[in-house]
Amino acid sequence: MKEIVILSGKGGVGKSSLTAALAHLLTEKGTRLTLADTDVDAPNLHIVLGAEFDRSRAVAASDKAIIDYEKCSRCMRCVKACAFDSIIGDNEPIIISYSCEGCGVCALVCPEEAVSVQPMENGKINFVTSGAVRVVAGELGIGESSSGRLVDIVKREARQEASLNGSDLLLTDGPPGIGCPVIAALKGSDYAILVSEPTPSALSDLQRITEVVRGFNIPAGAVLNRNDMDEKSARITRDWLIRNEVPLLGEIPYDPCLPQALARGALAVNMYPDAPSSLALRNLHKVVEGLLD
Amino acid sequence: MNKKLHPEIIKHFHSTTFTTPIIGVTGGKGGVGKSTIAINLAAAFVANGKKVALIDADVDAPNDSLLLGIPLENPEPVTIMQPVFDSDKCTDCQKCVKACQMNSLFRSREKTITMMGECNGCEACYLVCPADAVGRGSHSVGTLYTTRRGDLTLYTGALQPGLAESALVVNAVKKAAFADADNFDIILVDTAPGTHCNVIGALKGAGHVLAVTEPTPLGAHDLELILSLLDMFAVQTSVVLNRSDLPGQQEKTEKTGRAGSVPVAAEIKLDKDLLAGYLQGTPVVELFPNSSAAKIFLDLADRLAAAWPDQKTQAKTKARQEQL
Repeated sequence: MKEIVILSGKGGVGKSSLTAALAHLLTEKGTRLTLADTDVDAPNLHIVLGAEFDRSRAVAASDKAIIDYEKCSRCMRCVKACAFDSIIGDNEPIIISYSCEGCGVCALVCPEEAVSVQPMENGKINFVTSGAVRVVAGELGIGESSSGRLVDIVKREARQEASLNGSDLLLTDGPPGIGCPVIAALKGSDYAILVSEPTPSALSDLQRITEVVRGFNIPAGAVLNRNDMDEKSARITRDWLIRNEVPLLGEIPYDPCLPQALARGALAVNMYPDAPSSLALRNLHKVVEGLLD
Repeated sequence: MNKKLHPEIIKHFHSTTFTTPIIGVTGGKGGVGKSTIAINLAAAFVANGKKVALIDADVDAPNDSLLLGIPLENPEPVTIMQPVFDSDKCTDCQKCVKACQMNSLFRSREKTITMMGECNGCEACYLVCPADAVGRGSHSVGTLYTTRRGDLTLYTGALQPGLAESALVVNAVKKAAFADADNFDIILVDTAPGTHCNVIGALKGAGHVLAVTEPTPLGAHDLELILSLLDMFAVQTSVVLNRSDLPGQQEKTEKTGRAGSVPVAAEIKLDKDLLAGYLQGTPVVELFPNSSAAKIFLDLADRLAAAWPDQKTQAKTKARQEQL
């Protein structure tokens, strides 16, 4: 089984829409695939697919410090020792759970053994079925942290799901950015598809994500979405891709059919098969099919 | 679904050592226009005669300098502690290996300690070593840039690609800007997408937050998430509806769920002038000061400045914070 991850650096360039469209087109041609939604902060793939959750399971992918106030002598050593300023308080220590890294330094310095690091529930794994496609989607609890470790679990579950249903491909919809959850989504992938659009911001973010992907020695190609947005920026992006030997897998024009289909919980490739974006996606899906050999 | 936060944590979130107002620009979803709105609002405040600090706290993908058309200047490294192991002093007790919650330390066959994985600079290994064999080195995780142009100062945090320490860079860029807070009339913070700890870290101290969204089911979904987060911290919030004439479900975005009870501070239609500024790297407020897009930002800046400090709203927010 191959693993392909869709990333972009910049948010909102069309990762989820591309993931959903590719999944649909590949399935139509007989590829068996499983999807993973690793944008655990804003999991949207199921919305693009117009699908509901079959079931959900709470997961504890986060370790956090907990204080036993019966044992605590209020010496406040933990407050001073925390390198992340995650323990506050004037009279008694209070742990700011959202920024606690679970490093355990507070437990190490506590003379009363009042602090311990314990696994804490920080999110959910949602299972979704959309036609013949199974989706494993992570959802971080609001204001929780450790999204990277939640992504690790999503990918593990998705791999299991994929091997159970005999998938040829695990296609992962990645989070925006280049940080911890992105690295978790990328690890173990055979190929990364980097989505961009012709704007200076998207190019800058494409450059940053390319550096990350290269650092992990994972081959990558680019997709230029909304390629007719700005001719000059499109040219600059294409030139950059050539100079840096990142293959351009395909280009997709801006198409009002996309938001229209999205508003109805449908895929534009289904609803408007002859729309310009649908035709471009059909070409792109052949290129992606080629990556599977 | 929301966890209740300890009142001290909410108080801590709102505490600052200065009185300069802080406005956050966030949105949950990526690509809804957070940076566009942040830089134009910054330019509008400047046009209205204010001294402005703009903090680009989207350290994974910082784009404000590109959108403002100003270079990144005055680089300074963001460093964290990284252990240095002295094999002469090491007694091979391996307490450091056990203490490292990141499982990054490895004892080789030659009985030396090597770092194999990520280090978040927590100092646990340094603390547990009984033989003084762990020294405190430093390791760069990103870069801070400070660019001054007239009445605008841009503080940018940039994470080193390949590293995971976004939160540390967010804290560092905020610290740098907050150290100069008294020199500004207003501080704007542009956050990363999402609802994670880096977004909370970026918004810490903000008295008012603009949650940017667009009228698509995705925008509506992620707006609910970010509004829930802001509600947990009792932050005064309003919504900016961007690309409001996208073919979609505007009514749903505005009227359902939490979004229904949060005021809409501004509505921005798909706009040629705004896009031209975006592509060219100039705020529309400077490029076409008389355009309807520029007027929206100038007007929003006026209203935000006039409402600050709106005693009644502040009191109400404070009461809510205390009630929590």
